[in-house]
Amino acid sequence: MLGRRLLLLFVVAFALGGCEREQRSTGFRVALLSPGPISDAGWNAAAYEGLLAVRDQLGVEVSQVETRTPPEFEEAFRDYARRGFQLVIGHGFEFQDAAAKVAPDFPRTVFLTTSGSTVRPNVAPLVFRLEDATFVLGYLAARLQPDGKACAVGGMDIPSVRGTFVAFEAGAKHARPDYPVTVSYIGGWDDLGAARAATLALIDRGCRYVFQNADAAGPGVFQAARERGIYAFGSNRVQHEVAPTAVLASAVIDIPHAFVAVARDVKDGRFQARPIEETMADGTIAVVYNPALAAVVPADVRHDVDALAAAVRARTVAVPYAAL
Amino acid sequence: MTADLIALLTTTIALATPLLLAALGELIGERAGILNIGVEGLMLTGAFAGMLGSYATGSPTLGMLAACATALLLGVLFALWVVTLDVDQVVAGVAINLLAVGTTGVLYRAFFGNTGSALTVAAFAPLAIAPGVALLAPLRQPAPVYAALALVPLVWVFLFRTRLGLRLRAAGEAPHAAESVGVNVVAMRFGAVLAGALLAGAAGGYLSLAYSNTFVEGMSAGRGFIALAIVVFGRWQPLGVLAGSLLFGAASAAQFQLQAAGVAVPYHLLLMLPYVLTLVVLAIASRAARGPAALAQRRSLCATAD
Repeated sequence: MLGRRLLLLFVVAFALGGCEREQRSTGFRVALLSPGPISDAGWNAAAYEGLLAVRDQLGVEVSQVETRTPPEFEEAFRDYARRGFQLVIGHGFEFQDAAAKVAPDFPRTVFLTTSGSTVRPNVAPLVFRLEDATFVLGYLAARLQPDGKACAVGGMDIPSVRGTFVAFEAGAKHARPDYPVTVSYIGGWDDLGAARAATLALIDRGCRYVFQNADAAGPGVFQAARERGIYAFGSNRVQHEVAPTAVLASAVIDIPHAFVAVARDVKDGRFQARPIEETMADGTIAVVYNPALAAVVPADVRHDVDALAAAVRARTVAVPYAAL
Repeated sequence: MTADLIALLTTTIALATPLLLAALGELIGERAGILNIGVEGLMLTGAFAGMLGSYATGSPTLGMLAACATALLLGVLFALWVVTLDVDQVVAGVAINLLAVGTTGVLYRAFFGNTGSALTVAAFAPLAIAPGVALLAPLRQPAPVYAALALVPLVWVFLFRTRLGLRLRAAGEAPHAAESVGVNVVAMRFGAVLAGALLAGAAGGYLSLAYSNTFVEGMSAGRGFIALAIVVFGRWQPLGVLAGSLLFGAASAAQFQLQAAGVAVPYHLLLMLPYVLTLVVLAIASRAARGPAALAQRRSLCATAD
């Protein structure tokens, strides 16, 4: 894994080439630790786009590295902090322990984790309440086929992923209290084949709408859905481009917007370590439909779903949030 | 119930095939005395090259050829290291794995963009065997599945019923004795490594062109290492390797079925199922098993081994 990290770091350095010389004057540098390949067209890709937005909108230098294990998280945090990066983002719930451990040694660096609850003088979680959007998607599934069944496929059972499934189920039950939702985990984020096998097994048991939150393995879910002619929901990023005939809608996070806001605060010295929560009410979380499949959702259902989304934004309906 | 069993069997065969291909290849290499822990990297390379080949030509068959050819090239590199230069086999295998992970990731992003793209390539379709007969559904698998199954007896005949197979095994059991009776140990081992690399590449091609129709970074997901365990499990016999692959495939398939059925067992325990089963069977089966005597030994150091 070390080899892969170095190699990717090298490549990213190439991809971002030029900015180092031009923008050294500002001296502000931001790094991203992604738990998987940024080519996953989902969770990690969205974070990379957020990092590039920080680079372009704030004119600062950025760097990204792929880290897989807690020792790697810690090592990468330390490495960037030692090199003087002012903001280092660990992309996921799993980064908070490493951040808390490293932070006291580097008081001049802000460590941000994109989920979690750990707060230190220079550690803060940026929590994306994707639950708002998956709640709406669950409701949509149950309204589209009231006598149907929905399911969800996850990578690993971590609170930030499980939370999206709990809200998905709650949304379905908001439409019909006994609507069945089954959840399957594949135990990792890369195994496309496992994701496909898990989804086929769920479809065999009657699942007609499948939500995926499995990062790079996600396309395996879409493939199974397409094969069996059912609809799927994407997560974290607009995913109907990955499977245009299968992905009906996606629960989307506007990570670029959130990253730029935090990076600007850190850069201007206004940053206060506290849990930051991004919700549908803020506009950072949204449900994005696949325009090519718009005809699948009848007008009355679409109307009710939009009304529910408005209620979620107005907080007049309670969406269950994961305890992080 | 019947439907569940049919689904279980179908998935079992589909999940067992890449393991079977990779493990048969590794078996040939190990029989010649070469331990190649780079199977994982060769598989990943095959998966990437296969996808790329199918993407470029629109033909999964040509994609599969690209998968095999690219893994073969990497196999030449590995063989140069461990056979010609007599480098430590484990170190060389690790190098192959790292090289494959880095190169496929870099090239994938170079071709298809940093953040991934909507990539669907032409893939092998399941053969339409007796459509309409539900019970025969497990037989409706893409062509590479049948090729993999056909290889089991072929590899057995080659290893145990041909002169070349005997020489290959002699190179793995007693290379110095074999050399003294005129067996070209270097050629045997070089050929065995190439055959193994080719099959590992085919296993990767199966992943991106038969079991799915796309590529993601790291999609071999540890299957190469499981193939290594399956060779030990199968006591270095083709039939044993088939049994091990099917067992692992069945355990994986069962674990997805159980989760889908909503069985109230922590999913971690279900995910462990295939690995625990493999461990248990390894513990029982490998007690009497003995690998090729000169396995993983460097030639310059193995003079005392025989």
